[in-house]
Amino acid sequence: MALYKLNVNGSDHSVEALPDMPLLWVLRDMLDLTGSKFGCGIGACGACTVLLDGAEAQSCQVTVSAIGKKKVTTIEGLSKDGSHPLQKAWIEHDVPQCGYCQAGQIMAGAALLHKNPHPTDAEIDDTFAFHVCRCGTYQRVRDAVKAAGAKK
Amino acid sequence: MSDRKEVSRRSFIQLIGGVGASLALGSFSSLACADVTKKDKAGNTAVFEPNAFVRVDPDGSVTVTIICPDAGQGSRTALAMLVAEELDVDWHKIKVVQAPANQSLYGRQGIGGSHTIIAQYNELRQVGAATRYLLVAAAAKTWNVDASTLKTSNGHVLSADGKKSISYGDLTAAAATIPLPTTKPELKKDADFKLIGKGATRVDNPDVVTGKAMYGLDVKVPGMLYAVIERTPAFGAKVKSINDTDAHQIPGVLQVFEVPSGVAVVATNTWAALKGRKAVKVDWDLGPNADLDSAKITAQLKAAVGPHKEMPAGAKVIDATFDFPYLAHATMEPLNAVADVQDDHCTIWTGTQQPNGAQGQVANMLKLPVEKVTVNVMLLGGGFGRRLSNEYVVDAVNVSKAMTKPVKVMWTREDDMRHDNYRPACHASLRGAVDTSGNPVGWSHQTITAGGGRPGGQFGGANIAYDIPDAAMLQAGVRVAVPTGAWRSVENTLHNVANECFIDELAHAAGKDPFEFRRSLIKNDRLRNVLETAAKKGNWGAPLAAGHGRGIACFQGYGSYAAHVIELSVEGKKIKLHRAVCVVDCGTAVNPKGVEAQMQGACTDGLSTALRAAITIKNGGVVEGSWTDFQWMSLDAMPKVEVTIITGTGGPGGMGEVGYPSVAPAVANALFSATGKRVRKFPISLDEMV
Ligand code: FES
Ligand code: FES
Repeated sequence: MALYKLNVNGSDHSVEALPDMPLLWVLRDMLDLTGSKFGCGIGACGACTVLLDGAEAQSCQVTVSAIGKKKVTTIEGLSKDGSHPLQKAWIEHDVPQCGYCQAGQIMAGAALLHKNPHPTDAEIDDTFAFHVCRCGTYQRVRDAVKAAGAKK
Repeated sequence: MSDRKEVSRRSFIQLIGGVGASLALGSFSSLACADVTKKDKAGNTAVFEPNAFVRVDPDGSVTVTIICPDAGQGSRTALAMLVAEELDVDWHKIKVVQAPANQSLYGRQGIGGSHTIIAQYNELRQVGAATRYLLVAAAAKTWNVDASTLKTSNGHVLSADGKKSISYGDLTAAAATIPLPTTKPELKKDADFKLIGKGATRVDNPDVVTGKAMYGLDVKVPGMLYAVIERTPAFGAKVKSINDTDAHQIPGVLQVFEVPSGVAVVATNTWAALKGRKAVKVDWDLGPNADLDSAKITAQLKAAVGPHKEMPAGAKVIDATFDFPYLAHATMEPLNAVADVQDDHCTIWTGTQQPNGAQGQVANMLKLPVEKVTVNVMLLGGGFGRRLSNEYVVDAVNVSKAMTKPVKVMWTREDDMRHDNYRPACHASLRGAVDTSGNPVGWSHQTITAGGGRPGGQFGGANIAYDIPDAAMLQAGVRVAVPTGAWRSVENTLHNVANECFIDELAHAAGKDPFEFRRSLIKNDRLRNVLETAAKKGNWGAPLAAGHGRGIACFQGYGSYAAHVIELSVEGKKIKLHRAVCVVDCGTAVNPKGVEAQMQGACTDGLSTALRAAITIKNGGVVEGSWTDFQWMSLDAMPKVEVTIITGTGGPGGMGEVGYPSVAPAVANALFSATGKRVRKFPISLDEMV
């Protein structure tokens, strides 16, 4: 066990954890940030996706000891009040079904739009091919990402 | 909740019911609702809560109690719409709360069989209408006018001339003194609907997109411990011995012990529990199924096929078989539950499709009266039939009881995939015949499922939408140790897929166009209409580019009708999906956005199971463990999904399942159109087509 200092959604935290504890469980069990979801634990679904210094990362695949000074952004910290263009587009396009995969989809979209505000279909394919939505919301994910990009 | 209030609520349920056995409703009562107001914190204004389903606050907001779980099908939204419609309240003023399990108050709360909206369509509109009646009567009393002269709009009561207006929020105290009506208030005519049929975005969206939505796995209660369970490697295996020495070396691991479903590892956080589980060494007695595998199961299924019915003499006879694998539900949120078992009561937090079942089961386990078991229903990260049973709740109760602390039991993805109640594997054998003028004159379908079902079976109605003389079907099962259960559209995942592939083959044998052939034989007008619409939207008959194919299929069930046209192309060893045209007639589409979502989702399921996903049995257990080997459709592989809703009136049909059963056959038929080869096995492999 060791003490780790983390910056999550702009706030500093220190947690005592095993060095190999994935960030996902630090967020969920220790910081009560349950927006990032457990879908597989092996980096195969994207439900746990967060941003590390603005880039997409699967929090089930990053250990607490590997984070260092990188800033962590979770769905709870994407905006103060749900006003990120993707969050708004997600509501407008009524994307969620069960909703469980959606934080991961939105965070992946946020990283994509950050790099490229007007992604092509092929770029959207590239980013989201990895993100499983068992409910099949893909059509609306695509539509909402495009709409949010257009507004950015 | 006080007893008096309980009585008053029940009376209201009786008022609004009458016909709806589903909510256990009875006759009418004119009981005054004197005890249904609450003072707010300031002690002056009142909350109007005339029944178990709806509450009006002084700020004009209306809270609707949702009695059924929402597994992603959008029922929380659609059910609230029903109340809002008749109450004439602005949709933005609606909030929803999820009811805990309470069958005596709410009736059956389970979700399955696509019946959630059908069952509550009249009742919840009655709730809205009766509440509106009380608010209107309160305004009439306040203004000293006849209630029949008043109108309502957007959460306000309006005077006849529209000059006076009072918000529902300002009527709460007065409304609470009005006796319930003595006859059921009249419901709106379909033509007057403002919300039903227009569509609303989901009530849970704002919480979902900000990470606030609470699923079972997100629950944390004070003092809660975390547990995972090392589960049987083969169905029916038993624990011989446990070596937990290494597990206890892991900081945070508290206890390791046997439970009925395996070996529980309890820790202070999820990661420690997972690590502890890895470190536990369990010696298993693999039991009687240790050499069961998929090949043996398929052989068993094939061996159970009997002689087909005789085909008419002189007709052209064709045969086909179809093999279907087991399918996991693979809900995005793996199964889980939190249980807090105390001496004289127990509290559960979970996402379940059967809150009442969970409550009863836990009460039985703990020998507690049902009312001493609270089941808090969280959002479900997917259901599809998996959460109709409550093994994860049983796990949590067993572990919490042993620890005398609240415990969350999480199934890993691998646990979830390897310990499901699977859509049964199946072998279908079909024989049909056409006469010399191309009319179908014989149809015999045998479907043998590895569902543990009956070993025999009887030829009965063919369960097809087509008018074919003496068409018959035999359903039989062989007993296999793999547990099976309901999977979105259940038997129709097999029967309709086989039927819709085979009718295509009959059309071909008859030298007819598969769409025209179906159209000429369909018995039901609504089904014919969706089929024709799909053909039109899908440009049926238009020339196809080289390598492209187009396939069509349809389905009726759950009170609804669906048809699909799939266009795809085959390039070398690759199947590329271009278009999925989905048409549905579900009568009254309460929330068209939700209907569209269900069609999109079911289409994704259909494509996934046609082309990718299968569960394989080896050494008595399941091979696949995660999304890497149980592959679902991904965004990049999806075709454009175009949904057309044929709107009807007179009430809704079911939407949860109708969109699934005609997708896979449309894919198979499109592949025939592209390659001239037929599918005999799912998921489809080009190499295995004949
Ligand atoms: S939970 Fe991290 S990728 Fe699936
Ligand atoms: S919305 Fe249910 S898994 Fe994506």
